[in-house]
This record gives sequence, structure tokens and C-alpha cells, in this order.
Amino acid sequence: MGDRKIILKSNGLNLGYKKQGESIIIAEDIDFELKKGALTCLLGPNGVGKSTLIKTIMGQLPALQGSVILDDSPLGDYSLKELSKRIAVVLTDKVSLGNVTVYQLVSLGRIPHTTWLGSMSSMDHTKVEKAIEVTHISYLKDKVLSELSDGQLQKVMIARALAQDGEILILDEPTAHLDLINRFEIMHLLRKIAKEENKAVLVVTHDLEIAIDTADEFWLMQCGLPLECAAPEDLIVSGKINLLLPSGTLKFNPITGKIQDSTPYDYPIIQGDVKLTNWLKLIIRKNSLVFDEDLQVISILENPFLIKVKGEKKEQNYNSFKAFLEDLS
Amino acid sequence: MKNKPNYFLLFSVGIISCIVVFMVNLSIGSVSIPVSEIGMSFFGNEFSRKSWEIIVFDYRIPKAFTAVLAGITLSVSGLQMQTFFRNPLAGPFVLGISSGAGLGVALLVMAGSAFGLSFFSGGFGLWAVVFAASIGAILVLLLMSLTAWRVKDSMTLLIVGLMFGSLAGAIVSVLSYFSDANQLKVYTVWSMGSLGSTHSGQLELFFFASILGIIPVLIFIKSYNAMLLGEAYAKSMGVNIHRLRWAMIISTGILAGSATAFCGPIAFIGIAVPHMARLIFKTGDHRILFPASALMGAIVLLMCDAISQIPGSAQTLPINAVTSLVGAPMVIWLILKRNFSKEF
Repeated sequence: MGDRKIILKSNGLNLGYKKQGESIIIAEDIDFELKKGALTCLLGPNGVGKSTLIKTIMGQLPALQGSVILDDSPLGDYSLKELSKRIAVVLTDKVSLGNVTVYQLVSLGRIPHTTWLGSMSSMDHTKVEKAIEVTHISYLKDKVLSELSDGQLQKVMIARALAQDGEILILDEPTAHLDLINRFEIMHLLRKIAKEENKAVLVVTHDLEIAIDTADEFWLMQCGLPLECAAPEDLIVSGKINLLLPSGTLKFNPITGKIQDSTPYDYPIIQGDVKLTNWLKLIIRKNSLVFDEDLQVISILENPFLIKVKGEKKEQNYNSFKAFLEDLS
Repeated sequence: MKNKPNYFLLFSVGIISCIVVFMVNLSIGSVSIPVSEIGMSFFGNEFSRKSWEIIVFDYRIPKAFTAVLAGITLSVSGLQMQTFFRNPLAGPFVLGISSGAGLGVALLVMAGSAFGLSFFSGGFGLWAVVFAASIGAILVLLLMSLTAWRVKDSMTLLIVGLMFGSLAGAIVSVLSYFSDANQLKVYTVWSMGSLGSTHSGQLELFFFASILGIIPVLIFIKSYNAMLLGEAYAKSMGVNIHRLRWAMIISTGILAGSATAFCGPIAFIGIAVPHMARLIFKTGDHRILFPASALMGAIVLLMCDAISQIPGSAQTLPINAVTSLVGAPMVIWLILKRNFSKEF
């Protein structure tokens, strides 16, 4: 375990922007601590101010009140150039470059460290090679960006941020538009980077389930509420994770680890292994299946697979969910 | 990229072609002079005819140098704008610089006739056009700078620049409607562009302006590489976007402004040449692209000038028409051949 030193913190931070001399506050009274060697996920609905928060942390937007403290000094005391050596980012901005190779793009990360002409020392090349190795993109090194898939491109952008060599890595929705495998890979890669490179990694994401699997800390942002910072497991057990689902119709199910419809549903009596009954409940609920009055019990068996619908008079057997559904609806 | 292009080889070939085109350019014209004679004259040999010496040293060499300078300045400003605005169709004239210069010249022609003065005779007239064009370009540039001060978004700046250009163009149209045939001809001839009208003192000034305009590019060359990823990324890498924007405006203003002032508007060099450089040098690195664009700009404009001479004839085609005839199909071909958005 790397040392979990706090590198970035804030208290009483007000976020927003100034428009024609008037401050428009987006979020108030935000306290947080970002730790090295930990993967932190920032979650919250669209429009709650996640982007404003990370822009403020990046030093691109001044805080309306309070301040972000980087290593004992407020962010405002650092120049853009000094900040660029501490904080690297992966943004949602589309990058479409045809003539640039992966290696060249990752090298762009060294810009804050090179001389005015941008010539790379052997140390710069070592850092670029390291970043490429950590993100497992060595096989792409000489490819041109237009030849990459979205998932590969995202890894290249992460490598570029790594090459920038700051202690803080901020990623704005790095897994949006990616397929399931790539989402898992990217998030696990980020966790590995936090642990092995001892970086403070902050990820804005909407992938709750993958975030629970990988993050050390969650920051939950919800309109009008203070920022909730805790381990995801604590948030689940205390039920605070449901802050993300304010409407009340959806609820986080702490057993399945999924978000489900929270309105109560009257299931018939079901017998069998939880592994199977959960899916049976799902298909019943999803299709609002109605059963005969005389239904006594539905039992489900795994090997061989069998759904037994037992009524007072008759008993029906099905060997697949599909057959079960077709007969009942 | 399967194998990295050999930049040393490409630049060597480029410099040699530039010298060859330069020599060919000197030999072509209403009087055809053999390249070998010109070549020997640089090593101290006498020309076989005295008149050739005058033609080469007093007319053709200044004109060829003007072509080289105009090619370099227009291409370098074009590349700056394409990268800064992240728009493949941006060129030195999208900020309205040529339209501003055109407006200046149009006003001079009108004012000249209104006061019964003829600005277009003798040495004074030549400087007057340069002066008017510069004032026009600088005024548009100042307006753009004021806009840049207020507007944060680069795309807005680009659109405002285009609008300024249209506005200046509209005023020129109104002016030409009220001017007589002679004035109209003077303006039209200017707007066709000419590389041959830089005279004593002007070429030196053009050279000095080019050096001055290239200094901001050299200072910010690394920032242009960072800009490949867009403003937000560039900022996160410590690039001061505001300073870069000012450097870009000042640099393109001086470069494209002086080229337009001395040669009139020359179309397409600023848009097409940076794309040619990207295509041939296969890189996005501005440390390569800036010198490559400058070199290719010089070659292309020297070639266009040679074409405009129609060897053996006394007539010359307007340079602006030739660059458009060469440049427009080139840009169309580029669009069709590759996905334009992936050029960057």
C-alpha cells in the first residue's frame, strides 16, 4: 500500500462562475480530501456541478469562496505551469488527430517539463516509455491515432496524462462511450495506477457498479446537499448510496449490488436457490406476469433446469425462462 | 505510421527544389535567360548580354525574393491559424486581414480622386498603396483584438473574423459602385496581386516584417503542439491560452498583413500549403511543420509565379488568379482524398 497522504483538500468551497459581475453559485460548502495512492470516484447526476468541481480543482476556474489547497498552499498561488507539473487530466474533449503517432501523443504529456523548443531528454523518453508500459499500449506505439478504437484511444490519453508525471490524475468520464470490457479494463487500470504509481486518481463516472468494484472512496454530489465522502462500502451499508437516486422509485439493492425498482411487488411463493429465484422474480416483475388464483408455489431447480408451477389442480413444467414466459403471457 | 519519414532527407530535397525553382523563376519571363548563365553569374562570371544583368538583378531577383517571403509568411500564418482554431479551413484571411487591406486601398483610391490627387504615379504612389493596405489590415486587426479581449471562445473569434471580412468587402463594393472606371481599374489590379511591385526599400521592409512576425511563432512553438489536443488540454499542460491568442493575432497580423500590403491579396497559399506540408512530412509536430510549411510556401509561390509568366510572352497572369487556380483544386483534392478532419 502506498502512503495515503492527503495531497489536495478544500473546505467551505463554493463553486460557480461569474457572469456580468454576478456570481452564479452551482454548489456550496464543499469539503473534500484527495489522497495519494487511492482511487476516488465522483458520482452525481448530470448538471449537479461535477465538471465545475473538477475545473476548479484543475485551477481553470477560480473558487467563488473558500479555496482548494494543494500541499498547504491555495491553488491560486500556483502558476498554470507549476500546476501542470502536479495535475494531469483526461477530458471528454474529442481528440481527432490523424498524423500523430501514439508515441508522439504520449510525448505531448512532457510539454510542461521540456525546454521552450520542446526537445526531449532521455529522462523524458524514459517517462514516456514507462507510461506506455503501465497502460499496456506498447503494441500501439507506432500506430497513428486514426487507426485506434475508442477504448485504445482512451488508454493512450491516460498514458499521456501519466507521462505528464503529476501526483494528481483527474479523469472526466473516461469510460463514457466505451463497451463493457473496456469500462472494466480502464477502471481497473486506474486503480492499478493509483496503487502502483502512488497517484491520487479522481474519476468522474456514472458507472456505479464498476466504481463500487474499484474505488477506495466515493464523493457523492447531489443538488443542495453537502458532498458526501466515504468508502463505497460504508455508503452502501448505511444506505447513503441512495442519495444518487433521489426520486425514490429506484433503490440500490445491497444484496445484488444493483439499482432496482423500489416499489414493493407482490410475488407468488417461490422456492429454490437465491441464484435462480432472483432471475425468476425479475422475469415476473419485468412482464407483470399474472398467475391463476389456485397457484400454490413456483419452484425452480438448477440441474436439470426446471421451473415447476404448482397449482391446486394442475402442475406445469418449463425447461427455460422463455417457455415459462411464453405460456404465461 | 509504418516508418518515420526521414526529415533530413525531405528538408534537403525541399531546399534543393527551392533553389532550382528559384533559378527557373529567374530565367523565365518576357526575355528568356538561360539558367546556366544565371548560375554562372553568381560565381562572378559576366552575362553574355549586358541587358540580362539588369533584368536579373534589378527586376527578377527582387521579385523572386518577394515570392519567397510572401510564400513563407502566408503559409506560416495559415498553419498558426489552423492549429489555433483547430479548423482545417482557417487561413490568414479568415481574420479579415486581406479584406481590411483591400478596404484601405479602396479608400485610398476614392480619397485620392476626391482630392484630385493621383497617388499612383512615381515612387510615392507605390508606398501609398502599401501604407493604405497596412492601415486597413491593422485596423481590422485592432478590432479583432478588441473582440479577442471580450470573447473567450476561439470559434466565435473565427466567425467574427469572417464577418469583419464580409463587412469590409461590402464597403469596398459600395465604394466601387460610386467610383469611375479608372479608379476601379486601379483597385482591381491591386486585388489581383503582384509580386513584382516591391521596390527599393520595400523588400528590405518586407524582410524585416517577416522576421518580426516569425518571432512569436518561435517563442510559442511548443504551445502549438499542445494546442493539437484543444484549448482545455493545452491549459492543463501549462499553456497560457490568452498569451498564445495574442501572439497568434500579432504574428498573423504582421505576416499576412505585410504580405498583403506588399503583394496584394494572394489566395489559397495560407490554406493549402500547411495541408501539403502535413501530407508530405506526415507529422503533427509543429517543430517540423513550421519550417516545412515555410519551405513549401516559398516553393509553391515561386512555381505559381513562374506559371504566371507564360514563358516567352510579354504578358503576365495575375498571381492571385494562378494561386487560386492551383490552390482551389488542391484543397478539393485534399478533401476528397482524405478525411479532412483527420488531417490534424
